Amino acid sequence: MTRGEAVISGISELVPALDAGGRGTLDLLAEAAALVIQDAGLTKSDIDGLLVTPPSEDSYFLWPSQVAEYLQLDPVFMNMVELGGASAAASVARAKLIVEAGLCRHCLCLSGGVWDSQVFNTRANKMAVMSQAEIDYELPYGPMGFNSGYALIARRHMAEYGTTPQQLAKIAVDQRTNALANPLALFNQQALTVDDVLASRVIVDPLHLLEIVRPCSGAAAVVVSCADLDCAWPHPPIPIPGFGEAYTHNSIPYAPHLTHSPIRMAAQRAYQMAGCNPGDIDLVSLYDCYTITVLISLEDAGFCPKGEGGRFVADTDLTYKGDLPCNTHGGQLSCGQASFAGGMSHVVEAVRQLRGEAGSRQVRKNRLALVNGNGGVMSTQSCLVLGRK
Amino acid sequence: MSGYKQIFKDKLQSGQMWLQYCLDCQRFVYYPRERCPYCWQDRLDWQPVSGLGTVHSYTIVRVSALPEFHPPYIYALVDLTEGVRMAANIEECSLDRIQVGMPVHLKIINREDNAALPIFIPV
Repeated sequence: MTRGEAVISGISELVPALDAGGRGTLDLLAEAAALVIQDAGLTKSDIDGLLVTPPSEDSYFLWPSQVAEYLQLDPVFMNMVELGGASAAASVARAKLIVEAGLCRHCLCLSGGVWDSQVFNTRANKMAVMSQAEIDYELPYGPMGFNSGYALIARRHMAEYGTTPQQLAKIAVDQRTNALANPLALFNQQALTVDDVLASRVIVDPLHLLEIVRPCSGAAAVVVSCADLDCAWPHPPIPIPGFGEAYTHNSIPYAPHLTHSPIRMAAQRAYQMAGCNPGDIDLVSLYDCYTITVLISLEDAGFCPKGEGGRFVADTDLTYKGDLPCNTHGGQLSCGQASFAGGMSHVVEAVRQLRGEAGSRQVRKNRLALVNGNGGVMSTQSCLVLGRK
Repeated sequence: MSGYKQIFKDKLQSGQMWLQYCLDCQRFVYYPRERCPYCWQDRLDWQPVSGLGTVHSYTIVRVSALPEFHPPYIYALVDLTEGVRMAANIEECSLDRIQVGMPVHLKIINREDNAALPIFIPV
């Protein structure tokens, strides 16, 4: 068995859709799988590892087996990675470990699902995605799922550091500018202004509708391969020089700190493994379920001091034309979040940029990218440093 | 129901909030459990709380999917003087008065389902 450096050899992403048109999660994953092996220049029989993020409407029970059966794969290693929005980035990290251990040659990482608009909107459906502690000690007070969790973080950040709604809104505005250059994006028709964001309905104060992710249906996939294999590599293979993870809590009342997230440790670990620092990073793909998530990610990943994120995003052009391109596909805020875990789109976009295949939104400097996956309420963090050969 | 959940509820029903206190690491524990999450020992005692706290953060829920809740309402995290943080509503407080750091006091109320529920009101 070959043991060598793991690289991202293939990527695929379906067009995000508000209506899946009757297709199921397995149908979407199969399309993403068919596209990703084509992109990697591989055939189905090359795939010997399978990592999947959780299903949305299907049963969790033996989910990797369900996926492998639909795809008629017989992998030597497979698993479900359930870390919420960090699942996709963490899948790539695990694929690297499996490939570099010599267990697999080509590991398929699949993420996606069908969005059911009722998923958070009835008491029974809310309870289905809550821990027993949340049901017992939070649900009696009428939390609005992730919305209220992130609103608590945003409010606390405003109180501690003077962060303003205008500064947060700027993140959504820059990401929309990016989405206008992305034909796949769900919202790529109309530019946004800070005033537009602040004029949108307040859902959970201080968060406005246009600061909140739009769930949708979709899927994305990555193949992680051993670089030493004798393959055609139709696209430049993208190395994964570092990754880092950190986990501190599940539900927000029990987080060690509201405004300091475990991203700090996850990013430090990733930089250390890659032998780089934030100043070396050319572009970032930061999990953006809310505007506040991006602001705290930028602080904790070391792009500005803690508490100065508001000023930093106001003064920095975060578009693909700017000094720190951030979520150049539009992020989940403008591209859409495929099912529970849209984080694979962040990985796919960083790879496009590093390959130099991002078309009209191609960034100028593209040697090193930081990708972050964030799950729960800033609970689970998985950072990847992606580079170029 | 687990014994510790029943004790927590029974104390609330009698008009008081009691929390678990770990005799080994001498810390209050919230939410109730069988075993201390800090030292993993199981010597958890029950003690009444002062009922005093401060608002660590809050959100005003403007859109709620739960029909029994009527927006706008305040969903907050309260730091008790005993050193634990809990989710709760702030009531008897106008929406323009609520702020981070505001001192609050425990009040036990009964909602429609008749279960006693700890909430907080401004001091």
